[in-house]
Amino acid sequence: MNEIVLETQGLTKYYGSTLAVDHLDLKVPRGCICGFLGRNGAGKTTAIKLMLGFLAPTAGSSKLLGCDSTALTPEIRQRIGYVTEGHRLFRWMSIAELERFQRAFFPEQWDKTLFADMIEYFELSRKKKIKHLSNGQRAQVSLSLALAPKPELLIMDDPTLGLDAAIRRQFLEGMIELIMRQGRTVLFSSHILADVERVADRIAVIDKGVLRANCSLEQFRTAVKKVIFSFANSVPTEVDIEGLLHCRRSEKQLELTLVGTEEAQIAEWAKSAGAEEYHVAKMNLEDQFIEFTAPANRKKLFQWEEQ
Amino acid sequence: MLLRKELRESLPCILLAAIALLIIGGIALRLEMRSGRSGWYYSNLSPGATANTYSFRQLSSLSIAGSWLFVISIALGLGLGVLHFWIPYFTRTWPFLLHRSVGKMTILAAKLTAAAIGCILPLGVVWLALYWYACRSNAFGIPVPVRVFIDGLILIALGLVVYLGTALAGLSRAKWYTTKIFGLTFAALVLFITTVQFQCGLLWACVIIVIGIMILLSQVVDTFLKREY
Repeated sequence: MNEIVLETQGLTKYYGSTLAVDHLDLKVPRGCICGFLGRNGAGKTTAIKLMLGFLAPTAGSSKLLGCDSTALTPEIRQRIGYVTEGHRLFRWMSIAELERFQRAFFPEQWDKTLFADMIEYFELSRKKKIKHLSNGQRAQVSLSLALAPKPELLIMDDPTLGLDAAIRRQFLEGMIELIMRQGRTVLFSSHILADVERVADRIAVIDKGVLRANCSLEQFRTAVKKVIFSFANSVPTEVDIEGLLHCRRSEKQLELTLVGTEEAQIAEWAKSAGAEEYHVAKMNLEDQFIEFTAPANRKKLFQWEEQ
Repeated sequence: MLLRKELRESLPCILLAAIALLIIGGIALRLEMRSGRSGWYYSNLSPGATANTYSFRQLSSLSIAGSWLFVISIALGLGLGVLHFWIPYFTRTWPFLLHRSVGKMTILAAKLTAAAIGCILPLGVVWLALYWYACRSNAFGIPVPVRVFIDGLILIALGLVVYLGTALAGLSRAKWYTTKIFGLTFAALVLFITTVQFQCGLLWACVIIVIGIMILLSQVVDTFLKREY
């Protein structure tokens, strides 16, 4: 579990004067499923393309299976599966033709049975041309093509984008099928938090090119919390508590979003601020992610009106 | 497998060009044979003047077909270049295509080989067929010179120059008004010089084409290997 299969160090990418990825330091240990989260335009695709050597970094470096991304050899690529964003495959080919094409590059490791099983599981016809498949079906073909060579590391760029809930679930179950095989590692980017919650055991959150979190899902779930304080009179104008992300206040309530703040610190602050009582509100991963990556004035205190 | 894929993708363009040349060339030959107007001309002959008959040039339908071969060959080169390196339908598959157990150079080599086969083979075969038909038909007073056939091959090679120029422009990430159009401009220059050199001799035309291809090819390879996808 401790062996690192994917590592970036200070990975930075500028497009002209636009900073797309900013000093990304990411480590993914072997055998885990890492959800790579970020809003649209956060830099997920750029980061993945940098990792796979399709883009040259402005600064920093990245290693996949111990090999520098800018010099990935065909042998190393053979051990890495990649599902592209939008599942862009050769539209004129049929599934069978595409299988033959893909298999030619992985002659020894291609698992014919696995591919056949997956195609059957997804209820696809091998004769069907890619151009006649729906988005969801193309995603399924794409996943099958990436899994059949039994890659050690599978990188997927927003694989469930544009798929309906049922297809997404089927897709993810297919992925879990792979993970059941020992030693496989998956990095997948997504902004559908329910998907991440279902399959990931680690998450990396990227926001405007900056890595804001890289921890286990459980740690993240515990760390980000919303605490609601009730006051008898007016709420304090200044809030000074460690790990403060957001602060909203109404007349007699103060809602703080905190990250990494200990229970004792919260209790202490409540006492010092004169709060009558406080409670930790329930948050799902999506709420936590939105709060965690909410833009701009995150340290400022701002008013909100209760409807 | 890569070559087969590239050839399959290029097939519509290749077939279209070959069929167009076959139809246009065939019609030109048939018309010539029907009217029986094959003749000879001398470009600067004034009334009453004498001229060496060996300097006469044959005004055959193959010359007309040759003009079309020039147009079709360039159109095919342009079409294949656009198809391989410009159209988002294909360029969007780059990440899928490049993540293979073969080097980038192999992937590019497959594209270039497919283009070379696509530009030279079908047009070459059709041109050979037209030449052979013109030689064996009785439409012309004397056999059609081999030079006509060789001229055609040079025109076909020009299609490859245009392909490489289009490929270079397609691969370039520069702005269109800067170095992006270098490939196409250079190819146009090679076309112009080659057509001028036709008057001076085939050897010079061939030399210019070879030099043009070498320069464009080295640029295409370098750009492809360094480019981001």
